[in-house]
Amino acid sequence: MPLGVDIPVKEVQRYMGYHGIADIAPEMQTLIDKAIDRLSTQSHPRIVSKEYLIDVSEKSVVIHTENEDLTLESESLARNLKGCCGALLLAATIGPSCDMLVRRASVTSAAEASVYQAAGAAAIEAFLDDENDRLKKQYEAKGYFLRPRFSPGYGDLKLEHQKDWFRLLDISKQIGIELTDSLLMVPTKSVTAIIGIGRDPKASGCSGCAGCGSCNMHKTCEFSKGRS
Amino acid sequence: MGLRERLGKEWLFCDGGTGTILQKLGLKGGELPETWNLTRPDDIKALNRGYFEAGSNIVNTNTFGANRFKYDNVAEIVTAAVKICQEARKEAGREDDAYVAIDLGPTGKLLEPMGDLAFNDAVDVFAEIIKAGYEAGGDVVVIETMSDSYEAKAAVVAAHEVCDLPVIVTMVYDESGKLLTGGGVEGTVAMLEGLKVDAIGINCGFGPKQMLPIAERLVKCCSLPIVVNPNAGLPRTVDGQTVFDVGPEEFAEIMGEIAKLGVHVMGGCCGTTPDHIRAMINTVKALPFTAPTFKNTTYVTSFADCVEIGIKPVIIGERINPTGKKKLQQALRDNNIDYILTEALKQEEAGAHILDVNVGLPEIDEPVMMESVILKIQSITNLPLQLDTTDIEALERGLRIYNGKPMVNSVNGKVENIEAVMPLVAKYGGVLVGLPLDEEGIPATAEGRLAVAKRIYEAADKYGIPRKDIVIDGLAMTISSDPDSAIATLDTVKGVRDIYNGHSILGVSNISFGLPARELINSYFLTMAMQNGLSCAIINPCNGPMMASYRSFNALMNLDPKLEEFIGAFSDYVAGSGIAASSSKSSSAASSNTVLTLAEAIERGVTGRAAEAMKEALASGRESLEIIDSELIPALDRVGKGYEAGTIFLPQLLMSADAAKAAFAVIKETLSDKPRNVKGRLILATVKGDIHDIGKNIVKVMLENYGYDVIDLGKDVPPEVIVDCAIENNISVVGLSALMTTTVASMEETIKLLREKKPDTKVIVGGAVMTPEYAEQIGADAYAKDAMGTVRYCDSVFGE
Repeated sequence: MPLGVDIPVKEVQRYMGYHGIADIAPEMQTLIDKAIDRLSTQSHPRIVSKEYLIDVSEKSVVIHTENEDLTLESESLARNLKGCCGALLLAATIGPSCDMLVRRASVTSAAEASVYQAAGAAAIEAFLDDENDRLKKQYEAKGYFLRPRFSPGYGDLKLEHQKDWFRLLDISKQIGIELTDSLLMVPTKSVTAIIGIGRDPKASGCSGCAGCGSCNMHKTCEFSKGRS
Repeated sequence: MGLRERLGKEWLFCDGGTGTILQKLGLKGGELPETWNLTRPDDIKALNRGYFEAGSNIVNTNTFGANRFKYDNVAEIVTAAVKICQEARKEAGREDDAYVAIDLGPTGKLLEPMGDLAFNDAVDVFAEIIKAGYEAGGDVVVIETMSDSYEAKAAVVAAHEVCDLPVIVTMVYDESGKLLTGGGVEGTVAMLEGLKVDAIGINCGFGPKQMLPIAERLVKCCSLPIVVNPNAGLPRTVDGQTVFDVGPEEFAEIMGEIAKLGVHVMGGCCGTTPDHIRAMINTVKALPFTAPTFKNTTYVTSFADCVEIGIKPVIIGERINPTGKKKLQQALRDNNIDYILTEALKQEEAGAHILDVNVGLPEIDEPVMMESVILKIQSITNLPLQLDTTDIEALERGLRIYNGKPMVNSVNGKVENIEAVMPLVAKYGGVLVGLPLDEEGIPATAEGRLAVAKRIYEAADKYGIPRKDIVIDGLAMTISSDPDSAIATLDTVKGVRDIYNGHSILGVSNISFGLPARELINSYFLTMAMQNGLSCAIINPCNGPMMASYRSFNALMNLDPKLEEFIGAFSDYVAGSGIAASSSKSSSAASSNTVLTLAEAIERGVTGRAAEAMKEALASGRESLEIIDSELIPALDRVGKGYEAGTIFLPQLLMSADAAKAAFAVIKETLSDKPRNVKGRLILATVKGDIHDIGKNIVKVMLENYGYDVIDLGKDVPPEVIVDCAIENNISVVGLSALMTTTVASMEETIKLLREKKPDTKVIVGGAVMTPEYAEQIGADAYAKDAMGTVRYCDSVFGE
């Protein structure tokens, strides 16, 4: 099944640690092109999302679900969702084929394995960006604006909350991601996130404040280099 | 009458939704539904009773998620659920014709090798639930909403090991008929039929309309009673409540359409209510019932692939078999699984459909090796496997953890052998190779072999293995010792097809043992055998003439639609150039790089050229150690230094590492008895709980290139395993990797245990979340920021 969106070559190169370098060996570019091609055709992208009403205070966010009120203690998330009345909880994956391709490549070539790793990361981001745009348009038509995605593990939002996402969205059954005991997702190229819904257009679309700034690894991150 | 006697003979009906009804009754989002068996038994009884009264014959206990990962008191919860369901049945007056179903859903965990739950642990988890349900008086085991065929297999194995109740399995497919783990309808059905369940079906996922095409596919491929339990359409949220868009009338109407396809058991899933079930029963009962029909198709499957035997000849790769292969023997002794995996990938690339796996060597623990090799191979390829062993324990362990329905090589006509092998194949399922030899030896004539084959078929009948799942070996033996042997073999193959309407197999290359130019005889013999009806050829798919013979045969016999495979393989074939040259796919940029020296090839990361340059250097009479010291290592060093200085990026470093590895492989191949100097030996592992191993693998490649012997313990490795291995091998350096903050704790635990049990070991740590400060805090000796850092550290430790 095709991925349905283009995987940007530049992003793959950035995930691989090339930043601002135009001179990529032709052998490497061949590997990158092959990985993009395979992931574009062999991925099985799936997404599940639900909309909830929320209350945002200084240090926490309360999500009103069908049968419970879920409190997320997190200043960084509260900042991200400030002024929002609702939120989308979502989970997405490009499926298990990328993990298989990484494992296969690992047997013979570390370079190729790292290319699949990077291309997979770029693929799930591209898929999510595309879905995000679609949602954005939907909501804008109704007079609402979406905030940048925010995931469990960002800033001070505990990774433990992965379990809440899995329970509320029934992720395993709906789209086939499983959570390990150490809260990692399998397939690995998967994302859980919350997207704020608000009336204020000014607070939306600033990916910088939710992106790198609130990340725990902001100072040491290789991937943030070369990000536009 | 028992359920087993009724299945497939009359209309039977399951119940409908449970979770959706409990939510209406006030079940909270975080609340576990099965606790209600103890806290609100009357509500559960009313739920069950509603379905008995609506006419359901099979009503599920409220035990879908009642496993040990969620409950400490599994037996209590399950026993209560069965008792409640029995009371509901009694109150509804349905004790004569309705059954209490012990209901099992997924564990919520992913099985190894993708996830962290071992197959046999999954079997235990299910067995605990089934045992409690069986002892409380459940009548049938229903395994439902499974999106992973491997987990379904674990549940079926558990059910058969705990009790003799009928077992019904229903899976969740998507609109394209795929499981979330990648398997299709036909392959899943083949696996479940092999496991001898009583009925197979589909549930949940979507509504009846979307389920119709899947039901159609089930009817086409399944010989057992078919179950269809859809949702009441698609869920929507209205005023904060989940509602489904198909009401009872519409549900009944579409279920009537599905009934006409020839299914046998019908019910509902999420969103359906007793009203849906009642309406459906009214409609369906009036329709004629068609009993299941036997499908004479033979499938060998993996979790994702499904190979049909009997349409066109199937290629079984023979390379993973140590007989006469020194390098594979050594790899098995060294536990060098990567070598075996490389062989698997090569054969897949060359066009194999199934891979033979034989890991029998006198000096290794074959059952353990069989299990671990199967798991590893299945984590890198979709190809189904042929378990090839004479060790019955190895066979059983392999069959048990295999994900899918494998081939089994083999059983023979000896009574003792039949009694050992057939019960295992009957239990786990498999396509069984039968060797037509017996206590008297190998019959010289085709008539003699066909007579033994007949006895093998009859034995299979006795054990309940369908004849379609028996593949008779024609027993190819060299024409150099018996000039009639090819004729006897070909006549046997032909007889299997014409007399028994059966399938055949050959280890083709045995025909030429002791002769020169073996591939000539082998490839012609292969063509002749296929012409006589051969179903499966065990060959080396990397051998050009063999695959040329195979592809030409398919092209000529109209088994290669549009000749795509033939043209794809031979489009750049040069007449008279020899067959082998055109069969290899290595058409990389190598040709334009022929001028590169070994050092240049490594620096630029051109793998193919690096290997060639190494071959040339060795051919010119140079010593391997001299080449390593004067060209290979300096080249690697230049790349490594460039990387450390920030002028070369990680991908380029990795390509150079790959190229160096290829060059080393050439040395190993040509001088396998003269190993290079080993600088030191160390352990690498990704710590428990962490399943990321790409970083660790990069470190491994670099260390090996720099002359270190690495014991790679893999990922998700418990502290005890690392410590035991360090003690056993007297290891002085252990490298640990962790990617997530959540798994650094187990890194710390590993270090503590090492300090306690083997205090002289040095520990170096790395991984995305690691920092020098963090490393010091958890008690590591050193922190490496990348692969080169680890190499430098090891040089400093071992250089002393």
